[in-house]
Amino acid sequence: MTDFILQAMLVMLMLFAVGTLLRLLLGPTASDRLVALNVLSAVSLALLVLWGIKVGRALYLDVALVYDIFGFLGFLAITRFLKDRKEN
Amino acid sequence: MTILLLFLILSLGSFALLSKDLLHSVIALSALSMLSALMFTMLKAPDVAITEAAVGAGISTIIFVWAIRHTRRRSKD
Repeated sequence: MTDFILQAMLVMLMLFAVGTLLRLLLGPTASDRLVALNVLSAVSLALLVLWGIKVGRALYLDVALVYDIFGFLGFLAITRFLKDRKEN
Repeated sequence: MTILLLFLILSLGSFALLSKDLLHSVIALSALSMLSALMFTMLKAPDVAITEAAVGAGISTIIFVWAIRHTRRRSKD
């Protein structure tokens, strides 16, 4: 039962990732793409944690931890670039 | 599931190559490194995935944005 629920959550999160990726590829402005990237990072973080639970090893959770810290720095850099762009 | 991830990574890479706006390419490359970290995790290589998440998602995005601050963002053609 737990395996079935984990598999169903993985498939649903993959579908959400595909839907978010369409917005990232089609979005007209850079802000749309940035928000889509943020949502996609949240979805893939949930996928990483679910995969770690499914496999049952704590090392897989470290990938999610490191990605969360460094991905936030990257989004912060892009947002700062957009702010400087608006002021010019 | 790996096949689906590979198709997503392929579409993001071709979008990053073909886009006219450099910032859109950087955003697509950040998403590409995120999905490839996910794929490395699913292929049972978590150490490679940790390195990819640290370098690809964080450091390379910051360096790319830092570089295109000193250039023009859109190409002319």
